[in-house]
Amino acid sequence: MSTSSQMLKGLLDGSLLALIAKGETYGYEMIEKLQQHKFAVVSEGSIYPVLMRLQKNNFVSTELRKSPNGPKRKYYTITAEGEKELQLFKEQWQHLSFGMNSILGERDEQNAKSKI
Amino acid sequence: MNKMLSQKSEQFIIELRMYLTSKGKNDQQINDIVEELSDHLHEAEAEGKSVEDITGGSPRAYMKTIGNEMGFDFRQFAGLVPMMTFLLLAYFSLGPAIEGTISLSKTGLWIGLGMVILSFIIYGFFLVNILPKLYHSKSFYVVGIALQLVMTGVFVVILLLELKLDTEPFFVATPMQNNLIIIADIIIFIAAAIYTKTWFTIILPIFMALGPLATRVIPESINKNPTYIAMTIAILIIVSIGILVFIIQKGKRKKNG
Repeated sequence: MSTSSQMLKGLLDGSLLALIAKGETYGYEMIEKLQQHKFAVVSEGSIYPVLMRLQKNNFVSTELRKSPNGPKRKYYTITAEGEKELQLFKEQWQHLSFGMNSILGERDEQNAKSKI
Repeated sequence: MNKMLSQKSEQFIIELRMYLTSKGKNDQQINDIVEELSDHLHEAEAEGKSVEDITGGSPRAYMKTIGNEMGFDFRQFAGLVPMMTFLLLAYFSLGPAIEGTISLSKTGLWIGLGMVILSFIIYGFFLVNILPKLYHSKSFYVVGIALQLVMTGVFVVILLLELKLDTEPFFVATPMQNNLIIIADIIIFIAAAIYTKTWFTIILPIFMALGPLATRVIPESINKNPTYIAMTIAILIIVSIGILVFIIQKGKRKKNG
C-alpha cells in the first residue's frame, strides 16, 4: 500500500463523520462529496467498512428509505456521540497538522539556509 | 428493482453474500451491506464505473474487510450447520429416492456419515468459492453436471461395495416412503434457496435428478446389464449436453431479443 493511501485510511473515519455532520446523506453521495473536496479515496467501497464501524460505535444512526430509482437506500445522520467524536477528531487533527507542518517546515527552512 | 445490475456486479453481490454467510455473519447485517452495495453499484454503473472501482484491486480482500467489521453470529451459525446437513442429506437421498432404492444398514450409516462430512467440505467449497464465480457463464452448468456425475458415481460405487459387504439393511423404504423423501428433499431445497436467497439449491438438484429419473424410466432387466449401464451413462451425458446447449441457445435468444 502506498504512503498516501495509508494516510487516507486513517483519516477516512473523521472525514466521513464530518460529511455526515453536514446533513443526512448516503453512501454514493458521500463518494461524490469526497471527490468534490478532492479527497481521493483508495476505492469507492472502502467507505463501507468505515461506515459499519461508525454505526457500531453509535456515532451515526441509519434509516432505510426508498430511493428515487427503486432499491432501498441507507441514510446516515450523526448522533450526539458522533458530534463529540467529531470534535475530538478536529482537535487531534489540528494538533497533528500543526506538528506535521512544523516538522516539514523546519526542514524546508534548513534546506533554504544550506542553499545560501 | 427497476434497473438490473450488470452480470459482474450481480456475481460480486452473490459471492459476497455466500462468503459472509459461510463466515457465520449475521443475516440481517449481511442483507444491510448487500443492499447498500447494490444501491452503490446501481449508481456507479449508471456513471459507467465497474465493480473494480468499488472493490479496488481484489474483490476477495474487500469482502474480508467487510467481514472484519461484522461479528460472528453463533446462534445463527448453529442453525446453519443443521441446515447444511439437511441439504446434503437431501442431495444424497434425491437420486436413490427417485430410483426408489432407499435403504439403511449399519455399515451403510457409517459410510454415509463419512460421505456427509466429506461432501460438506466438497459442496461447501463449490458453493462458496466456485459456483458464485460461474453464475453467469456456461461453465456453471458444466461444473454443476460434472459435480453431479462425480458425486453420483462415487455414491453408486459405494453402494455396490456395500452390497458386496452383504450388510443387512434394517430399513428398506417402501415406494410411498421413497416418494415422501422426494417431497421432503424438494421442501429442503426450496427452504435452503429462500434462506440463502440464491437459486443454486434449486438449479443443482434439477440437474442431479436427471440421471436417476432416466434410470427410473428404463426397465429393470436392462438396468442390471453392464453394457446397458454404460450406454445409459453415455446417453445421459448426451442428454445433459443437449439440455445444456438448449439452455445456452435460449439464453442467447433472450439476450438478442
